[in-house]
Amino acid sequence: MVLGSNQIWAPWVVDDIHAKADLGRYRIRGMSTHQKVTHFDDLTFLSTGLTRFPLEGYKEQCNTAVSLGGLNAENPLELDIPIYITGMSWGALSANAKTALGKAASMAGTASCTGDGGMLPAEREASDKLIYQVLPSRYGLNPNHMATAQAIEIVVGQGAKPGTGGLLMGVKVQDDVAISRDLPVGVDQRSPARHPDWLGPDDLAIKIEQLREATDWKVPIHVKLGACRVADDVKLAAKAGADGIVIDSMVAGTGASAEILLDHSGIPTVPAIVLAREALREIGLYRKVSLIASGGIRNGADVAKALALGADACAIGVAALIALNCNRDIPESNFEEEIGLPAGSCNRCHTGKCPVGIATQDPELTKRLDPDEGAERVANFLNSMTMELALLTRSLGKGDVKSLEPEDLAALTIEASIMAQVPLVGTNKVFGN
Amino acid sequence: MVSLDASQMTTRELNSQIKELAANGTGKITISNPAARHNIAVGILTECEIEIEGSVGYYVATLLDGPRIKIDGNAGWALGENMMSGSISLTKSAGASVAASMRGGEMFIGGDAGARAGISMKGGTLIIGGDSGFLTGFMMQKGRIIVCGDVGDAAGDSMYEGTIYCGGEVGTLGADAKIEESTEGELIEIWSLLEANGISERPHFRKIVSQKNLYHYDEQERHERPLI
Ligand SMILES: Cc1cc2nc3c(=O)[nH]c(=O)nc-3n(C[C@H](O)[C@H](O)[C@H](O)COP(=O)(O)O)c2cc1C
Ligand code: SF4
Repeated sequence: MVLGSNQIWAPWVVDDIHAKADLGRYRIRGMSTHQKVTHFDDLTFLSTGLTRFPLEGYKEQCNTAVSLGGLNAENPLELDIPIYITGMSWGALSANAKTALGKAASMAGTASCTGDGGMLPAEREASDKLIYQVLPSRYGLNPNHMATAQAIEIVVGQGAKPGTGGLLMGVKVQDDVAISRDLPVGVDQRSPARHPDWLGPDDLAIKIEQLREATDWKVPIHVKLGACRVADDVKLAAKAGADGIVIDSMVAGTGASAEILLDHSGIPTVPAIVLAREALREIGLYRKVSLIASGGIRNGADVAKALALGADACAIGVAALIALNCNRDIPESNFEEEIGLPAGSCNRCHTGKCPVGIATQDPELTKRLDPDEGAERVANFLNSMTMELALLTRSLGKGDVKSLEPEDLAALTIEASIMAQVPLVGTNKVFGN
Repeated sequence: MVSLDASQMTTRELNSQIKELAANGTGKITISNPAARHNIAVGILTECEIEIEGSVGYYVATLLDGPRIKIDGNAGWALGENMMSGSISLTKSAGASVAASMRGGEMFIGGDAGARAGISMKGGTLIIGGDSGFLTGFMMQKGRIIVCGDVGDAAGDSMYEGTIYCGGEVGTLGADAKIEESTEGELIEIWSLLEANGISERPHFRKIVSQKNLYHYDEQERHERPLI
């Protein structure tokens, strides 16, 4: 039997069955799905020619600033760039990593976000604009911390594991992380999937009002959804009073998720944005309720395409970790020995043995990440993305990223045309329309 | 003492007045005509005394750190959610999710409590004079729940630490929960807490705690699938 050429019993399928036969449970890993899905690379920009003229790449201004969540909030979230650092828990990440991300966000004029483990004081100090997550687990939730936030994000679901709660293996539930979460040290933490105090959208409306009252109606209240039944969920969240909706797709990153969920639930980022946009349009709240897209945003082109499809901003997770040195063979690391895989192939955030000091609570490994140097790299990366975004925007003849629109795009595949609702290249046809 | 008539203001006005009065050191704030309204007394982070004269809706007295609150009536869902410190005392019954994710302080419910009482509790003491509903102490992490009457089905499901004391009958036990006898010291402490809240009966309390079998996955990962 030559399994290598067998579609059904491919080598990794055989390996997967062997692993589960040894393990007796579902498998867990970090990073994101292995599924091949339609993504931003399947779209291309139709830059200027004779029908319109470009702006000068280096001279003319391109406004990249965005304002999020201003529907009800006295102080909307004002960002210099339409990209912010997504919620990644202190616990999944080391304190050094959280601090570096907060600092990088401030350097780039944008926001960072807490995560499923409460607020790390050092991140609060480092981050000028901090989004405070309210998750089903409520780990570390402290109204005193909440009162200092620039925005609140109610997490209903995550794209990497929609319909379930967070996961943090015992090796990472140590010391301050265990104390902050009020958990026994070393427990394999499986967070609740449902919020403890509300169940459906009617309750959510009251919950949103509660958070507004707690924060004196000053800051935006966002709702984060794992992208599944996007149209209905977005409408329900908007009707419940969300000022902004984060739509987190099936390709989104995670610190730990059951592999079966990563690969077999949710929908990709491109159709998620389009469905969310249309849902908001249908109820008259498009561009009133902010739309934030996350899942697999890797460069300025991905951001530009997400904005053109209808998002107001993007949030990044894994890309920021890679900028921090994730999967990089730094001198102090020995990937093969320490985590069993070469740099460039690692997806073992859940093991707590991160060779570059990012996804670990081990004091020795943590030292491999200097928060200041890390912040510099992430800020550089955010600036690079922003330059790429501005370059593309100007090449389209536009001086503001908010002017990007579906009209600027064409699809390279029929699937992308259908999902993005833009014409297939070489045709004037939007497939599936 | 300052009296506020809830019927004369929006919830937003009411809360901002309460916060202002509390910040200015007003000793006692009385709120009349709450009319089962939601979200009264939310996010108060200073010590003060508040008395609400009547029944209240969802999320009343939530996200608090310091206030001592008395409510004469019934309460809707999530009374006292995420309280850090201070106290809440309710004369009648509370709806679902009372003391959800509570982290400190003391809460007393004179009547019954609905489903999910003390869900995800992380500290403090919740005392229920009557019965409590389905999934009491679900995924509770720390603290104690004292139920003088019966505890509903799936009691203590998936709890990590903390204790549910039950003075009556326990419906069914939730996943990974077990029943143990309380020690004499625990009983004496509970009885004195009850007495402080005006309950003179001294029922015998059994306790529900975690079996801790769900603390860890049975097997840790051995094989990994590479990224590529
Ligand atoms: C290490 C890590 C930890 C995460 N922790 C959280 C969390 O605590 N709360 C949350 O809502 N999402 C969490 N996420 C998901 C991110 O917020 C976000 O949805 C995802 O990373 C976006 O996709 P991207 O990584 O492809 O940019 C985490 C992701 C990673 C990579
Ligand atoms: S290098 Fe660290 S952060 Fe990157 S995938 Fe591996 S464990 Fe996770």
